[in-house]
Amino acid sequence: MAAAVLCCSACNFNSRYDSEFFAMDTIMTITAYGSKSESAVKTAENEINRLDTLFSVQNKDSEIYKLNRDKSIVVSADTLAVLSRAKEFYVLTEGAFDITTEPLTRLWGFYSGLENRVPSKEELDNALKTVGAEHIKIDSSNITLDENTSIDLGGVAKGYASAIAAQTLNDNGVSSAIISLGGNVRALGSKPDGSDWSVAIADPDDNSKQIGTLAVSDAAVVTSGGYQRYFEENGQIYHHIIDTETGYPAKSGLKSVTIVSEDDTLADALSTALFVMGLEKSSKLYCENSTLFGAVFVTDKNEVYITDNIKNSFSSQHDFEVIKT
Amino acid sequence: MKNRVWIIVLSLSVLICAVCWLYISNLSPLSQIVGIYQNGTLVEKIDLNSVTGKREITLSGEYGKNTVLVSNGHIMMKSAECPDKLCVKHGELKNGGSPIVCLPNRIVIKFEDTSYSADAKTGALR
Repeated sequence: MAAAVLCCSACNFNSRYDSEFFAMDTIMTITAYGSKSESAVKTAENEINRLDTLFSVQNKDSEIYKLNRDKSIVVSADTLAVLSRAKEFYVLTEGAFDITTEPLTRLWGFYSGLENRVPSKEELDNALKTVGAEHIKIDSSNITLDENTSIDLGGVAKGYASAIAAQTLNDNGVSSAIISLGGNVRALGSKPDGSDWSVAIADPDDNSKQIGTLAVSDAAVVTSGGYQRYFEENGQIYHHIIDTETGYPAKSGLKSVTIVSEDDTLADALSTALFVMGLEKSSKLYCENSTLFGAVFVTDKNEVYITDNIKNSFSSQHDFEVIKT
Repeated sequence: MKNRVWIIVLSLSVLICAVCWLYISNLSPLSQIVGIYQNGTLVEKIDLNSVTGKREITLSGEYGKNTVLVSNGHIMMKSAECPDKLCVKHGELKNGGSPIVCLPNRIVIKFEDTSYSADAKTGALR
């Protein structure tokens, strides 16, 4: 009996499959364990590529590109699911999470092929008139955008894709895997030895370092930070997370926000939203929704705050404050 | 007398261990082997510790040329012809940090043996 168990664990350990590939404008890695890992990972990769061709804002064949161009189209079940969830997050975060920021992101030049620049106040004010989820109408699978409104699923697409990838791996016989879609991490099950996966949170000032690690199983861990994409003009730094109240990059006193949740799509959306909202408003949202997510905040002063529902899974050399419900 | 022998033996042992440790740590620093990949295929593996002088490696892709600059202990993307030049802005490759990535030309430069111990890192590309 003992020999059989040893043999099985040895077999499982040996059948590890790693994949690294490009999709959704980033680099992705999947590491899966078990005898079926190779075929399961390839199927998951195909699923991510399929979603990429639906959600891309720049690919002329994508549903989102066609929706932005034609303003009214019938969409697939996946696109409908993401749009519906995006509207749900817009309400939950009182507008801090918003997929109608495409015209603003374009003005700031945060799309590949564009030059980064600081737009004029007039340009931003004009673009802001088209912003807000109320400009998106969902009528079963028929989606209509108001004139001049355009959407970008960048804040939820990877979250949705990691949920689908994890589900695909599971459906194809994998129960232990770790996925990273450009830094959006998803742990499927626990490690082959039964212990939790260790997920480090990048130090916003130097991503070769870390501010701490979280021990997780069956959860998504997603971080948003101004350090991830930015440009400098006249000594001023402009990052890619736009506050739809002002049209400018969010200045909320935070360097990064990490969300832990069983719901990948929610984790992705909230990491952006809480970065925009700042520590105080985020703490209030957490108190009202502590069963949905946990969060780690790094402030501009390099203070670390963590919500009490995940504090026991966090280890760090930094001092940290606990946000209580 | 017996105590004095023991003290000498212990002191010598500590000294030998310290010398060995210094010798080993100087001889085998952290692995500095870097892989340059394009379209998922290994283009070249370089041990940054064994590089002498400066060397440039040119890679071509759909969006023009990328030039990688290698010197002893260091590697970075010196120039790129793609529009956003994120790979150039990335600066030097650091062990434990994000790989250098050129998305348009599908290039990845990364440490083969990272010093990093967690299973994944959120907020950085890895």
